[in-house]
Amino acid sequence: MTRRLAVRPPAALAVLGAVLVVAVAGLLSLAVGTRPVAPDRVLDALLHGGGSPDALVVRSLRVPRTAVGLAAGAALGIAGAALQAVTRNPLADPGILGLSQGAAAGVVVAVASGLAGGFGGYVWYAFTGAVVAACLVYGIAARGRGGASPVKLALAGTALSAMTAGATTVVLTADSATLDQFRFWQVGALSGRDADTVGAMLPFLGAGLLAVLACARGLDALALGDDAARALGHRVGLVRGVAAAGATLLTAAAVAAAGPIAFVGLAVPHLARRMVAGGHRVVLPLSGLLGAGLLVGADVAGRVVRAPAEVPAGVMTAVVGVPVLVALVRRRGAVT
Amino acid sequence: MTDTARLSPAEPAHRQVSVLRPHPRVSLLLHRRSAAVALALVLLLGVVMLVSACVGQAYVSPGEVWHTLRTGSGPHELVVGELRVPRIVLGALVGGALGVAGALVQAVTRNPLASPDVIGVGHGAAAATVFALATGAVSSPGALPAVSVAGGLAAAALVYVLAWRHGMQPSRFVLTGVGIGVALGAVVQLYLTDSELEAAEQVKLWLTGSLNGRGWEQAGPLAVVCLLCLPGLVWASRAVRPLGLGPETAASLGVRVDRARLGLTVLGVVLAATATGAAGPIGFVALTAPQLARRLTRTPQLPLLSSALTGAVILVGADLAARTLLPPLEIPVGALTSLVGGPYLLWLLGRR
Repeated sequence: MTRRLAVRPPAALAVLGAVLVVAVAGLLSLAVGTRPVAPDRVLDALLHGGGSPDALVVRSLRVPRTAVGLAAGAALGIAGAALQAVTRNPLADPGILGLSQGAAAGVVVAVASGLAGGFGGYVWYAFTGAVVAACLVYGIAARGRGGASPVKLALAGTALSAMTAGATTVVLTADSATLDQFRFWQVGALSGRDADTVGAMLPFLGAGLLAVLACARGLDALALGDDAARALGHRVGLVRGVAAAGATLLTAAAVAAAGPIAFVGLAVPHLARRMVAGGHRVVLPLSGLLGAGLLVGADVAGRVVRAPAEVPAGVMTAVVGVPVLVALVRRRGAVT
Repeated sequence: MTDTARLSPAEPAHRQVSVLRPHPRVSLLLHRRSAAVALALVLLLGVVMLVSACVGQAYVSPGEVWHTLRTGSGPHELVVGELRVPRIVLGALVGGALGVAGALVQAVTRNPLASPDVIGVGHGAAAATVFALATGAVSSPGALPAVSVAGGLAAAALVYVLAWRHGMQPSRFVLTGVGIGVALGAVVQLYLTDSELEAAEQVKLWLTGSLNGRGWEQAGPLAVVCLLCLPGLVWASRAVRPLGLGPETAASLGVRVDRARLGLTVLGVVLAATATGAAGPIGFVALTAPQLARRLTRTPQLPLLSSALTGAVILVGADLAARTLLPPLEIPVGALTSLVGGPYLLWLLGRR
């Protein structure tokens, strides 16, 4: 069996590269669309404003959309990396604690009851649903023998997700008007989001980010197993709880803003771990950058592929990301 | 990453097992608790099936059900013999096939979150069906099961080929499967947002899985496939045990690990794909049944027989709920499998 030596770039170089990718994706996101705007005019609109049609499109439509994409992508990437470490399962993604399905249930309740109008109204219902689901899952997994072990967390999350999805489907089966609205939220898209959406999510994103980053060293230790982590002086339960809580806030905010975008949170941490040899202090920020770049890049691609129609970002992340993931996974054994 | 089921501390391991020697040259290990659990599950399945045969739009007493089954005639022949019984039998077969398939895939990947859906079967079946509906490639609805079986098998084969490199690594297999599944799922989602609401509802209904209006026509082929897989399953029940100890230990015990994994995967994928063709992609059963069965039997490895029985109980129970919860509306059974099996799994997880 031959092993090619994989030369990994130093962490700083990888992060710098990721920053560049995010910058390019962000700029493209401001420039590309049914009304193309040249990059110099984009900058002009950002710096000086003005009332030209170009400036209006950039500032009122594309800036919020890009901001939502960057924030949601970064949040999903970081949350995924944290949850994969917490559950010690390479299949873990931000949906694993029942977060995405909880948010979806919140949206269905909002639409079916006629309480929420438009995406702005969905946000709080989705956020509440996600947080409630995560609390339930953690509460159930923490009971019983051995506390919130990785396997129990993952299984409880999956079971609750499936139950919530079932209940949601029952409602949608009985109510086709709700299905008609819900299917457009479910696919995950960034279009039609306004600046208020971003503003509402920022405090939660900030709090979640701080919580997860504070656990970075503890997450490194968790990979060695609970006993080894304890022997190294980490409080395993505390690390798990705080990291999971941070990931919950990040995911809830992202899903509320952009819909249940799958795959970003699952695949991005794997890419990040392939790129750098460092621990979570590097992997977490890098996952955030890659997630932001992937989601915004996919959103831009979705505007171009079938112009003037748009392909939702949630679909394009798969189209863009899957080949990369498969190629990477083939190149070296999966790092779990 | 696995958690080993703890044997109850009161009893040492050797007391939980009987060795049967029906013949001087034949010896069988019998895990006593597993046998008791399997027997209890058989009884439970019988009860659920009987209740399901009695209950519905019109109530038929158990005595009348028995009479109808024995004579094949009588006033309830249409409701019981033509509608309910075929559907119940199909449900038990689909649930059993999914339960076993889940146990096999989880044994190969050593991951309790893995299931045939994770390695692309469900998404492959869904994408093939949606493609056939959208392009009008399939004129008769009767051909859809064949299309979905082919799609499921093709997707799983693609995942296996892509993940194969100097042997099979479970984590690589699972990750590749998730990637391919997400890509196929995205295609289906795109179709759902692109199409008219009516077409979207039709596809969504198929995607949730249902036993509505299905019976012998679908149960026949599935039963044949299950029978053909039986010898393989007998072999599998022995192969699962060393694999659970990890690839190195299994190899040192003389197991050809890659070959055993391929065999188990093929069995699981064929069973899951056929079940999906018969009733649509029903989620959750394949994932939960093995985990439930393992916690009930308290065996360290995944018990195939109990997984099948658990899957059958979940699906027949869910179908009973699907028919009777909101009459006259039929809820897709796939939406209810999780509502039937989920709370129980949560309770087992949270037990002190």
